[in-house]
Amino acid sequence: MELLPQALADGVMLGGIYITIAIAFSLTYGVMHVIDFAVGEWIMFGAFTGYYLNKWTGLDPFLFLPVIFVAYFGVGYLIQPVIHRVLSGTKGNPFLMGLVFTFGLAIMFKGLALTVFGYYSNSIPSMFSEGAFNFDVFGAAVTIPTVRLVGLAYALAITAVLHYMLKKTNFGLGVRALAQHKDAAGLMGVNSRRTGSYVYGIYVGISAMTGVLLGCILSIGAQMGNEYTIFAFFVVVLAGMGYLAGVPWAALLLGLVQSIFMIYFNPSHTLLAVFVILYLILLISPRGLFGKGV
Amino acid sequence: MKVLDVQSISVKYGDIQALWDISFSVAKGQLVALIGANGAGKTTTLKALCGLIPVAGGEIGYNGTVTSGLPVHKVVDLGITLVPEGRQLFPKMSVEDNLLVGAYLKRTHSKRSQTLKKIYSIFPRLEERRTQSAETLSGGEQQMVAIGRALMQDPQVIMFDEPSLGLSPIMVQEVFKVIQDLHREGLTIFLVEQNVHQTLKVADYCYVMENGRIVGQGTGKELEADQSIREAYLGF
Repeated sequence: MELLPQALADGVMLGGIYITIAIAFSLTYGVMHVIDFAVGEWIMFGAFTGYYLNKWTGLDPFLFLPVIFVAYFGVGYLIQPVIHRVLSGTKGNPFLMGLVFTFGLAIMFKGLALTVFGYYSNSIPSMFSEGAFNFDVFGAAVTIPTVRLVGLAYALAITAVLHYMLKKTNFGLGVRALAQHKDAAGLMGVNSRRTGSYVYGIYVGISAMTGVLLGCILSIGAQMGNEYTIFAFFVVVLAGMGYLAGVPWAALLLGLVQSIFMIYFNPSHTLLAVFVILYLILLISPRGLFGKGV
Repeated sequence: MKVLDVQSISVKYGDIQALWDISFSVAKGQLVALIGANGAGKTTTLKALCGLIPVAGGEIGYNGTVTSGLPVHKVVDLGITLVPEGRQLFPKMSVEDNLLVGAYLKRTHSKRSQTLKKIYSIFPRLEERRTQSAETLSGGEQQMVAIGRALMQDPQVIMFDEPSLGLSPIMVQEVFKVIQDLHREGLTIFLVEQNVHQTLKVADYCYVMENGRIVGQGTGKELEADQSIREAYLGF
Protein backbone atom coordinates (compact mmCIF):
# COMPACT_ATOMS: atom_id res chain seq x y z
CA MET A 1 0.00 0.00 0.00
CA GLU A 2 2.96 2.31 0.47
CA LEU A 3 3.28 2.63 -3.26
CA LEU A 4 -0.36 3.43 -3.95
CA PRO A 5 -0.22 7.24 -3.45
CA GLN A 6 2.79 7.42 -5.75
CA ALA A 7 1.03 5.22 -8.33
CA LEU A 8 -2.06 7.42 -8.23
CA ALA A 9 -0.01 10.61 -8.55
CA ASP A 10 1.94 9.16 -11.49
CA GLY A 11 -1.30 8.06 -13.09
CA VAL A 12 -2.84 11.53 -12.85
CA MET A 13 0.31 13.15 -14.31
CA LEU A 14 0.34 10.65 -17.16
CA GLY A 15 -3.39 11.10 -17.70
CA GLY A 16 -2.87 14.84 -17.99
CA ILE A 17 -0.55 14.29 -20.93
CA TYR A 18 -3.04 11.96 -22.57
CA ILE A 19 -5.71 14.65 -22.27
CA THR A 20 -3.71 17.01 -24.43
CA ILE A 21 -2.95 14.29 -26.95
CA ALA A 22 -6.55 13.21 -27.24
CA ILE A 23 -8.73 16.27 -26.76
CA ALA A 24 -7.95 18.10 -29.98
CA PHE A 25 -7.82 14.76 -31.79
CA SER A 26 -11.38 14.10 -30.63
CA LEU A 27 -12.51 17.59 -31.67
CA THR A 28 -11.07 17.04 -35.15
CA TYR A 29 -12.87 13.73 -35.43
CA GLY A 30 -16.11 15.39 -34.35
CA VAL A 31 -15.87 18.10 -36.99
CA MET A 32 -14.15 16.38 -39.91
CA HIS A 33 -15.18 12.77 -39.25
CA VAL A 34 -11.70 11.59 -39.98
CA ILE A 35 -9.45 9.62 -37.68
CA ASP A 36 -6.08 11.28 -38.13
CA PHE A 37 -3.48 8.54 -37.85
CA ALA A 38 -0.77 11.17 -38.15
CA VAL A 39 -1.47 12.55 -34.65
CA GLY A 40 1.70 10.95 -33.27
CA GLU A 41 3.75 12.40 -36.10
CA TRP A 42 2.50 15.93 -35.40
CA ILE A 43 3.62 15.37 -31.82
CA MET A 44 6.99 14.11 -33.06
CA PHE A 45 7.50 17.09 -35.40
CA GLY A 46 6.61 19.47 -32.58
CA ALA A 47 9.07 17.73 -30.28
CA PHE A 48 11.91 18.00 -32.80
CA THR A 49 11.11 21.62 -33.52
CA GLY A 50 11.34 22.34 -29.80
CA TYR A 51 14.54 20.34 -29.54
CA TYR A 52 16.33 22.23 -32.32
CA LEU A 53 15.01 25.64 -31.29
CA ASN A 54 16.37 24.96 -27.82
CA LYS A 55 19.71 23.80 -29.22
CA TRP A 56 20.11 26.85 -31.43
CA THR A 57 18.90 29.55 -29.10
CA GLY A 58 19.62 28.02 -25.70
CA LEU A 59 16.28 29.32 -24.44
CA ASP A 60 13.89 27.24 -22.40
CA PRO A 61 11.63 25.04 -24.57
CA PHE A 62 8.55 26.22 -22.68
CA LEU A 63 9.11 29.70 -24.07
CA PHE A 64 8.70 28.34 -27.59
CA LEU A 65 5.25 26.86 -27.05
CA PRO A 66 3.35 29.84 -28.51
CA VAL A 67 5.67 30.03 -31.52
CA ILE A 68 5.31 26.32 -32.16
CA PHE A 69 1.54 26.54 -31.84
CA VAL A 70 1.32 29.34 -34.38
CA ALA A 71 3.68 27.65 -36.83
CA TYR A 72 1.92 24.28 -36.69
CA PHE A 73 -1.50 25.91 -36.73
CA GLY A 74 -0.45 27.29 -40.08
CA VAL A 75 0.74 23.88 -41.29
CA GLY A 76 -2.54 22.25 -40.27
CA TYR A 77 -4.59 25.06 -41.77
CA LEU A 78 -2.85 24.59 -45.11
CA ILE A 79 -3.01 20.78 -45.15
CA GLN A 80 -6.67 20.47 -44.13
CA PRO A 81 -8.11 21.38 -47.57
CA VAL A 82 -6.28 18.40 -49.04
CA ILE A 83 -7.82 16.04 -46.48
CA HIS A 84 -11.18 17.73 -47.01
CA ARG A 85 -10.87 17.05 -50.72
CA VAL A 86 -10.20 13.38 -50.11
CA LEU A 87 -13.15 13.16 -47.71
CA SER A 88 -15.62 14.93 -49.95
CA GLY A 89 -14.94 12.75 -52.97
CA THR A 90 -17.92 11.09 -54.57
CA LYS A 91 -16.26 7.95 -55.88
CA GLY A 92 -15.56 4.91 -53.73
CA ASN A 93 -15.75 5.18 -49.97
CA PRO A 94 -14.56 8.66 -48.89
CA PHE A 95 -14.37 7.71 -45.21
CA LEU A 96 -12.02 4.83 -45.95
CA MET A 97 -10.02 6.99 -48.34
CA GLY A 98 -9.63 9.55 -45.53
CA LEU A 99 -8.31 6.87 -43.18
CA VAL A 100 -5.86 5.59 -45.76
CA PHE A 101 -4.79 9.13 -46.57
CA THR A 102 -3.92 10.08 -42.99
CA PHE A 103 -2.26 6.69 -42.53
CA GLY A 104 -0.16 7.44 -45.58
CA LEU A 105 0.69 10.87 -44.20
CA ALA A 106 1.83 9.25 -40.96
CA ILE A 107 4.13 6.80 -42.76
CA MET A 108 5.52 9.53 -44.97
CA PHE A 109 6.18 11.84 -42.01
CA LYS A 110 7.86 9.05 -40.08
CA GLY A 111 10.08 8.15 -43.03
CA LEU A 112 10.97 11.79 -43.49
CA ALA A 113 11.85 12.14 -39.80
CA LEU A 114 14.01 9.00 -39.81
CA THR A 115 15.92 10.34 -42.80
CA VAL A 116 16.38 13.82 -41.40
CA PHE A 117 16.74 13.19 -37.66
CA GLY A 118 18.06 9.62 -37.63
CA TYR A 119 17.39 6.91 -35.06
CA TYR A 120 18.79 8.79 -32.07
CA SER A 121 16.75 9.33 -29.01
CA ASN A 122 17.13 12.62 -27.15
CA SER A 123 15.47 14.73 -24.57
CA ILE A 124 14.89 18.45 -24.34
CA PRO A 125 16.46 20.14 -21.31
CA SER A 126 14.25 22.61 -19.50
CA MET A 127 14.45 24.72 -16.38
CA PHE A 128 11.77 22.44 -14.94
CA SER A 129 13.71 19.23 -15.64
CA GLU A 130 15.62 19.10 -12.38
CA GLY A 131 13.37 19.90 -9.47
CA ALA A 132 10.76 17.76 -7.78
CA PHE A 133 8.15 18.12 -5.09
CA ASN A 134 8.09 15.69 -2.21
CA PHE A 135 4.93 15.06 -0.28
CA ASP A 136 4.08 12.86 2.60
CA VAL A 137 0.71 11.17 2.20
CA PHE A 138 -0.33 9.05 5.22
CA GLY A 139 3.26 8.09 5.84
CA ALA A 140 3.98 7.22 2.22
CA ALA A 141 6.46 9.36 0.31
CA VAL A 142 5.26 10.79 -2.99
CA THR A 143 7.63 12.43 -5.44
CA ILE A 144 6.35 14.55 -8.29
CA PRO A 145 8.93 15.94 -10.73
CA THR A 146 8.30 19.63 -11.42
CA VAL A 147 8.21 19.08 -15.17
CA ARG A 148 5.32 16.62 -14.78
CA LEU A 149 3.41 19.09 -12.66
CA VAL A 150 3.95 21.73 -15.33
CA GLY A 151 2.70 19.19 -17.86
CA LEU A 152 -0.47 18.67 -15.87
CA ALA A 153 -1.02 22.42 -15.59
CA TYR A 154 -0.56 22.71 -19.35
CA ALA A 155 -3.14 19.96 -19.92
CA LEU A 156 -5.67 21.67 -17.68
CA ALA A 157 -5.04 25.00 -19.38
CA ILE A 158 -5.56 23.53 -22.86
CA THR A 159 -8.77 21.84 -21.71
CA ALA A 160 -10.04 25.07 -20.17
CA VAL A 161 -9.23 27.14 -23.25
CA LEU A 162 -10.91 24.65 -25.59
CA HIS A 163 -13.92 24.49 -23.31
CA TYR A 164 -14.19 28.27 -23.26
CA MET A 165 -13.79 28.48 -27.03
CA LEU A 166 -16.50 25.89 -27.69
CA LYS A 167 -19.04 27.09 -25.15
CA LYS A 168 -18.60 30.84 -25.04
CA THR A 169 -17.48 32.08 -28.44
CA ASN A 170 -19.40 32.45 -31.66
CA PHE A 171 -16.70 30.47 -33.47
CA GLY A 172 -17.16 27.62 -30.98
CA LEU A 173 -20.92 27.71 -31.51
CA GLY A 174 -20.28 27.25 -35.22
CA VAL A 175 -17.86 24.39 -34.56
CA ARG A 176 -20.40 22.59 -32.41
CA ALA A 177 -23.13 23.14 -34.98
CA LEU A 178 -20.87 21.83 -37.72
CA ALA A 179 -20.05 18.71 -35.71
CA GLN A 180 -23.74 17.94 -35.20
CA HIS A 181 -25.24 18.72 -38.59
CA LYS A 182 -23.13 19.89 -41.49
CA ASP A 183 -25.94 21.02 -43.83
CA ALA A 184 -27.88 22.80 -41.12
CA ALA A 185 -24.68 24.54 -39.97
CA GLY A 186 -24.17 25.73 -43.54
CA LEU A 187 -27.71 27.09 -43.57
CA MET A 188 -26.85 29.06 -40.45
CA GLY A 189 -23.95 30.65 -42.29
CA VAL A 190 -21.11 28.50 -40.95
CA ASN A 191 -18.36 28.22 -43.55
CA SER A 192 -17.67 24.51 -43.20
CA ARG A 193 -14.38 24.55 -45.11
CA ARG A 194 -12.78 27.40 -43.26
CA THR A 195 -14.06 26.25 -39.87
CA GLY A 196 -12.69 22.77 -40.62
CA SER A 197 -9.32 24.27 -41.49
CA TYR A 198 -9.24 26.26 -38.26
CA VAL A 199 -10.12 23.21 -36.20
CA TYR A 200 -7.49 21.09 -37.90
CA GLY A 201 -4.96 23.89 -37.42
CA ILE A 202 -5.77 24.13 -33.72
CA TYR A 203 -5.42 20.38 -33.39
CA VAL A 204 -2.05 20.24 -35.16
CA GLY A 205 -0.84 23.23 -33.12
CA ILE A 206 -1.84 21.65 -29.80
CA SER A 207 -0.32 18.30 -30.80
CA ALA A 208 2.98 19.96 -31.69
CA MET A 209 3.07 21.84 -28.37
CA THR A 210 2.37 18.58 -26.55
CA GLY A 211 5.34 17.11 -28.41
CA VAL A 212 7.66 19.67 -26.83
CA LEU A 213 6.28 18.85 -23.43
CA LEU A 214 6.75 15.13 -23.98
CA GLY A 215 10.30 15.84 -25.12
CA CYS A 216 10.97 17.50 -21.76
CA ILE A 217 9.24 14.85 -19.68
CA LEU A 218 10.22 11.69 -21.55
CA SER A 219 12.28 11.57 -24.71
CA ILE A 220 12.07 12.31 -28.40
CA GLY A 221 12.85 10.16 -31.41
CA ALA A 222 11.67 9.82 -34.98
CA GLN A 223 9.50 6.84 -34.05
CA MET A 224 7.96 8.27 -30.89
CA GLY A 225 4.71 8.97 -32.72
CA ASN A 226 3.52 5.35 -32.93
CA GLU A 227 2.90 5.07 -29.24
CA TYR A 228 1.02 8.36 -28.99
CA THR A 229 -1.20 7.60 -31.96
CA ILE A 230 -2.25 4.43 -30.16
CA PHE A 231 -2.90 6.28 -26.90
CA ALA A 232 -4.86 9.04 -28.62
CA PHE A 233 -6.96 6.43 -30.33
CA PHE A 234 -7.46 4.53 -27.10
CA VAL A 235 -8.59 7.60 -25.17
CA VAL A 236 -10.96 8.79 -27.89
CA VAL A 237 -12.59 5.38 -28.31
CA LEU A 238 -12.89 4.96 -24.56
CA ALA A 239 -14.43 8.44 -24.20
CA GLY A 240 -16.82 7.73 -27.06
CA MET A 241 -15.92 8.79 -30.60
CA GLY A 242 -16.51 12.52 -30.89
CA TYR A 243 -17.69 12.94 -27.29
CA LEU A 244 -15.34 15.65 -26.11
CA ALA A 245 -16.50 15.90 -22.50
CA GLY A 246 -15.52 12.27 -21.95
CA VAL A 247 -11.91 12.76 -23.03
CA PRO A 248 -10.40 14.05 -19.74
CA TRP A 249 -11.94 11.17 -17.76
CA ALA A 250 -10.88 8.54 -20.27
CA ALA A 251 -7.36 10.00 -20.35
CA LEU A 252 -7.10 9.95 -16.56
CA LEU A 253 -8.36 6.38 -16.48
CA LEU A 254 -5.74 5.35 -19.01
CA GLY A 255 -3.01 7.08 -16.99
CA LEU A 256 -4.10 5.43 -13.75
CA VAL A 257 -4.43 1.96 -15.27
CA GLN A 258 -0.99 2.29 -16.75
CA SER A 259 0.76 3.52 -13.62
CA ILE A 260 -0.94 1.02 -11.32
CA PHE A 261 -0.18 -1.83 -13.65
CA MET A 262 3.42 -0.72 -13.95
CA ILE A 263 3.94 -0.66 -10.20
CA TYR A 264 1.98 -3.70 -9.12
CA PHE A 265 2.24 -6.01 -12.10
CA ASN A 266 4.50 -6.45 -15.07
CA PRO A 267 5.61 -3.18 -16.73
CA SER A 268 6.31 -4.86 -20.06
CA HIS A 269 2.70 -6.02 -20.36
CA THR A 270 1.11 -2.63 -19.65
CA LEU A 271 -0.06 -2.03 -23.18
CA LEU A 272 -1.64 -5.47 -23.28
CA ALA A 273 -3.52 -4.76 -20.05
CA VAL A 274 -4.67 -1.41 -21.40
CA PHE A 275 -6.14 -3.03 -24.48
CA VAL A 276 -7.81 -5.82 -22.57
CA ILE A 277 -9.52 -3.15 -20.48
CA LEU A 278 -10.55 -1.19 -23.56
CA TYR A 279 -11.94 -4.38 -25.06
CA LEU A 280 -13.94 -5.21 -21.95
CA ILE A 281 -15.36 -1.70 -21.65
CA LEU A 282 -16.38 -1.63 -25.30
CA LEU A 283 -17.97 -5.05 -24.90
CA ILE A 284 -20.20 -3.69 -22.15
CA SER A 285 -20.68 -0.19 -23.56
CA PRO A 286 -19.88 -0.07 -27.29
CA ARG A 287 -20.24 3.71 -27.46
CA GLY A 288 -17.56 4.42 -24.89
CA LEU A 289 -17.46 4.92 -21.13
CA PHE A 290 -20.40 7.30 -21.14
CA GLY A 291 -22.40 5.73 -23.97
CA LYS A 292 -22.39 9.01 -25.83
CA GLY A 293 -20.01 8.31 -28.68
CA VAL A 294 -20.91 7.70 -32.28
CA MET B 1 -40.48 43.26 -58.11
CA LYS B 2 -38.91 39.82 -58.32
CA VAL B 3 -36.92 38.81 -55.27
CA LEU B 4 -36.21 35.30 -56.45
CA ASP B 5 -35.79 34.67 -60.12
CA VAL B 6 -35.05 31.12 -61.17
CA GLN B 7 -34.23 30.62 -64.81
CA SER B 8 -34.28 27.12 -66.27
CA ILE B 9 -32.10 25.42 -63.68
CA SER B 10 -31.30 21.72 -63.84
CA VAL B 11 -29.72 19.57 -61.16
CA LYS B 12 -27.95 16.24 -61.47
CA TYR B 13 -27.05 13.66 -58.85
CA GLY B 14 -24.19 11.90 -60.57
CA ASP B 15 -25.62 10.66 -63.85
CA ILE B 16 -29.21 10.99 -62.73
CA GLN B 17 -30.96 14.21 -63.58
CA ALA B 18 -33.30 15.32 -60.83
CA LEU B 19 -34.48 18.71 -62.11
CA TRP B 20 -35.19 19.70 -65.68
CA ASP B 21 -35.41 23.26 -66.81
CA ILE B 22 -37.11 24.71 -63.73
CA SER B 23 -38.16 28.34 -63.98
CA PHE B 24 -40.24 30.39 -61.60
CA SER B 25 -40.15 33.65 -59.73
CA VAL B 26 -41.22 35.03 -56.40
CA ALA B 27 -42.13 38.69 -55.95
CA LYS B 28 -41.35 40.69 -52.82
CA GLY B 29 -43.76 40.01 -49.99
CA GLN B 30 -45.47 37.15 -51.77
CA LEU B 31 -46.20 33.72 -50.39
CA VAL B 32 -45.48 31.32 -53.21
CA ALA B 33 -45.97 27.59 -52.87
CA LEU B 34 -44.53 24.61 -54.66
CA ILE B 35 -46.61 21.46 -54.56
CA GLY B 36 -46.10 18.00 -55.97
CA ALA B 37 -45.90 14.33 -55.10
CA ASN B 38 -43.06 12.65 -53.22
CA GLY B 39 -39.91 12.50 -55.30
CA ALA B 40 -41.05 15.25 -57.68
CA GLY B 41 -37.93 17.27 -56.87
CA LYS B 42 -39.27 19.85 -54.44
CA THR B 43 -36.58 19.37 -51.79
CA THR B 44 -33.92 19.28 -54.49
CA THR B 45 -35.21 22.62 -55.78
CA LEU B 46 -34.93 24.16 -52.31
CA LYS B 47 -31.46 22.76 -51.77
CA ALA B 48 -30.34 24.20 -55.09
CA LEU B 49 -31.86 27.58 -54.22
CA CYS B 50 -29.82 27.91 -51.04
CA GLY B 51 -26.62 26.49 -52.47
CA LEU B 52 -26.58 23.16 -50.65
CA ILE B 53 -26.28 21.40 -53.99
CA PRO B 54 -24.81 22.82 -57.20
CA VAL B 55 -26.90 23.47 -60.29
CA ALA B 56 -25.86 21.83 -63.56
CA GLY B 57 -27.36 24.58 -65.68
CA GLY B 58 -29.46 27.72 -65.53
CA GLU B 59 -29.28 30.63 -63.16
CA ILE B 60 -30.70 31.61 -59.80
CA GLY B 61 -31.11 35.33 -59.23
CA TYR B 62 -31.77 36.96 -55.90
CA ASN B 63 -32.41 40.72 -55.80
CA GLY B 64 -30.43 41.06 -58.99
CA THR B 65 -27.39 39.02 -57.85
CA VAL B 66 -26.66 35.61 -59.30
CA THR B 67 -26.48 33.15 -56.40
CA SER B 68 -26.09 29.89 -58.29
CA GLY B 69 -22.51 28.77 -57.76
CA LEU B 70 -22.18 30.40 -54.33
CA PRO B 71 -21.67 28.12 -51.30
CA VAL B 72 -24.56 27.89 -48.85
CA HIS B 73 -23.02 30.11 -46.16
CA LYS B 74 -22.68 32.96 -48.67
CA VAL B 75 -26.22 32.52 -49.97
CA VAL B 76 -27.78 32.71 -46.51
CA ASP B 77 -25.71 35.80 -45.76
CA LEU B 78 -27.57 37.51 -48.60
CA GLY B 79 -30.84 36.99 -46.76
CA ILE B 80 -32.36 33.74 -48.05
CA THR B 81 -32.85 30.95 -45.58
CA LEU B 82 -34.39 27.52 -45.43
CA VAL B 83 -36.32 25.73 -42.71
CA PRO B 84 -35.25 22.27 -43.81
CA GLU B 85 -37.26 19.09 -44.06
CA GLY B 86 -37.20 17.12 -40.82
CA ARG B 87 -36.10 20.25 -38.90
CA GLN B 88 -32.39 19.35 -38.86
CA LEU B 89 -31.77 20.84 -35.45
CA PHE B 90 -28.49 20.42 -33.58
CA PRO B 91 -29.73 17.60 -31.35
CA LYS B 92 -27.24 17.80 -28.46
CA MET B 93 -27.35 21.56 -28.19
CA SER B 94 -29.78 23.45 -25.96
CA VAL B 95 -32.80 25.18 -27.45
CA GLU B 96 -31.17 28.55 -26.83
CA ASP B 97 -27.88 27.53 -28.46
CA ASN B 98 -29.82 26.24 -31.46
CA LEU B 99 -31.43 29.65 -31.78
CA LEU B 100 -28.16 31.49 -31.23
CA VAL B 101 -26.50 29.62 -34.09
CA GLY B 102 -29.10 31.41 -36.19
CA ALA B 103 -27.26 34.64 -35.33
CA TYR B 104 -23.86 33.22 -36.29
CA LEU B 105 -23.49 35.61 -39.20
CA LYS B 106 -21.72 38.93 -38.59
CA ARG B 107 -24.69 40.79 -40.03
CA THR B 108 -27.00 39.50 -37.27
CA HIS B 109 -24.58 38.87 -34.44
CA SER B 110 -24.64 42.34 -32.87
CA LYS B 111 -28.40 42.40 -32.34
CA ARG B 112 -28.79 38.78 -31.37
CA SER B 113 -30.14 39.34 -27.86
CA GLN B 114 -32.95 41.53 -29.21
CA THR B 115 -33.79 39.03 -31.94
CA LEU B 116 -33.79 36.24 -29.39
CA LYS B 117 -36.30 38.17 -27.27
CA LYS B 118 -38.51 38.59 -30.31
CA ILE B 119 -38.37 34.86 -31.08
CA TYR B 120 -39.30 34.06 -27.48
CA SER B 121 -42.28 36.39 -27.73
CA ILE B 122 -43.45 34.54 -30.84
CA PHE B 123 -42.82 31.12 -29.26
CA PRO B 124 -43.11 31.49 -25.46
CA ARG B 125 -42.84 27.71 -25.12
CA LEU B 126 -39.25 27.86 -26.33
CA GLU B 127 -38.28 30.24 -23.54
CA GLU B 128 -39.62 27.77 -21.00
CA ARG B 129 -37.45 25.06 -22.56
CA ARG B 130 -34.41 27.11 -23.38
CA THR B 131 -31.92 24.96 -21.43
CA GLN B 132 -33.30 21.63 -22.65
CA SER B 133 -31.43 19.86 -25.42
CA ALA B 134 -33.21 20.02 -28.75
CA GLU B 135 -33.57 16.26 -29.12
CA THR B 136 -35.83 16.09 -26.06
CA LEU B 137 -38.50 18.36 -27.59
CA SER B 138 -41.71 17.22 -29.24
CA GLY B 139 -42.04 17.43 -33.02
CA GLY B 140 -44.05 20.63 -32.86
CA GLU B 141 -41.60 22.31 -30.49
CA GLN B 142 -38.72 21.23 -32.71
CA GLN B 143 -40.44 22.88 -35.65
CA MET B 144 -40.73 26.08 -33.61
CA VAL B 145 -36.98 25.95 -32.95
CA ALA B 146 -36.31 25.39 -36.64
CA ILE B 147 -38.46 28.38 -37.60
CA GLY B 148 -37.04 30.50 -34.78
CA ARG B 149 -33.51 29.65 -35.81
CA ALA B 150 -34.24 30.75 -39.37
CA LEU B 151 -35.81 33.99 -38.13
CA MET B 152 -32.71 34.73 -36.06
CA GLN B 153 -30.95 35.19 -39.39
CA ASP B 154 -33.13 38.20 -40.15
CA PRO B 155 -33.97 36.84 -43.62
CA GLN B 156 -35.82 38.55 -46.43
CA VAL B 157 -36.85 35.29 -48.02
CA ILE B 158 -37.69 32.29 -45.92
CA MET B 159 -38.23 28.90 -47.50
CA PHE B 160 -40.06 26.06 -45.78
CA ASP B 161 -39.64 22.41 -46.68
CA GLU B 162 -42.67 20.42 -45.52
CA PRO B 163 -43.07 22.29 -42.23
CA SER B 164 -46.21 20.35 -41.29
CA LEU B 165 -44.74 16.90 -41.88
CA GLY B 166 -45.22 14.54 -38.95
CA LEU B 167 -47.04 17.06 -36.76
CA SER B 168 -50.34 16.69 -34.93
CA PRO B 169 -53.35 18.45 -36.54
CA ILE B 170 -53.26 21.20 -33.92
CA MET B 171 -49.57 21.83 -34.55
CA VAL B 172 -50.19 21.88 -38.30
CA GLN B 173 -52.68 24.72 -37.77
CA GLU B 174 -50.17 26.46 -35.51
CA VAL B 175 -47.41 26.24 -38.12
CA PHE B 176 -49.67 27.55 -40.88
CA LYS B 177 -50.70 30.39 -38.62
CA VAL B 178 -47.06 31.34 -37.99
CA ILE B 179 -46.34 31.24 -41.72
CA GLN B 180 -49.32 33.48 -42.45
CA ASP B 181 -48.26 35.90 -39.71
CA LEU B 182 -44.78 36.15 -41.19
CA HIS B 183 -46.33 36.73 -44.59
CA ARG B 184 -48.47 39.51 -43.17
CA GLU B 185 -45.39 41.13 -41.65
CA GLY B 186 -44.00 41.42 -45.15
CA LEU B 187 -41.57 38.50 -45.35
CA THR B 188 -41.27 36.79 -48.71
CA ILE B 189 -42.11 33.12 -48.33
CA PHE B 190 -41.51 30.10 -50.50
CA LEU B 191 -43.42 27.13 -49.19
CA VAL B 192 -43.10 23.48 -50.14
CA GLU B 193 -45.91 21.38 -48.74
CA GLN B 194 -47.72 18.07 -49.01
CA ASN B 195 -50.74 19.53 -47.32
CA VAL B 196 -52.05 20.81 -50.64
CA HIS B 197 -55.52 21.86 -49.59
CA GLN B 198 -54.35 24.23 -46.91
CA THR B 199 -51.41 25.44 -48.97
CA LEU B 200 -53.60 26.48 -51.89
CA LYS B 201 -55.68 28.51 -49.45
CA VAL B 202 -52.82 30.56 -48.01
CA ALA B 203 -50.58 30.95 -51.07
CA ASP B 204 -50.65 33.95 -53.42
CA TYR B 205 -49.36 31.85 -56.26
CA CYS B 206 -48.53 28.16 -56.77
CA TYR B 207 -46.31 26.03 -58.92
CA VAL B 208 -46.95 22.34 -59.49
CA MET B 209 -44.06 19.96 -59.91
CA GLU B 210 -43.91 16.48 -61.37
CA ASN B 211 -40.90 14.28 -62.14
CA GLY B 212 -38.44 17.14 -61.86
CA ARG B 213 -40.38 19.56 -64.03
CA ILE B 214 -42.81 22.40 -63.43
CA VAL B 215 -46.07 21.20 -64.95
CA GLY B 216 -48.55 23.82 -63.84
CA GLN B 217 -48.97 27.16 -62.14
CA GLY B 218 -51.64 29.59 -61.07
CA THR B 219 -53.27 31.17 -58.06
CA GLY B 220 -54.72 28.90 -55.41
CA LYS B 221 -58.22 29.38 -56.75
CA GLU B 222 -57.24 28.61 -60.32
CA LEU B 223 -55.48 25.41 -59.31
CA GLU B 224 -58.35 24.32 -57.12
CA ALA B 225 -60.63 24.70 -60.11
CA ASP B 226 -58.30 22.73 -62.36
CA GLN B 227 -59.68 19.23 -62.85
CA SER B 228 -56.33 17.44 -63.24
CA ILE B 229 -54.83 19.10 -60.16
CA ARG B 230 -57.90 18.21 -58.14
CA GLU B 231 -57.63 14.59 -59.13
CA ALA B 232 -53.91 14.34 -58.56
CA TYR B 233 -53.52 16.25 -55.30
CA LEU B 234 -56.83 16.94 -53.68
CA GLY B 235 -58.49 13.60 -54.26
CA PHE B 236 -61.86 14.82 -55.48
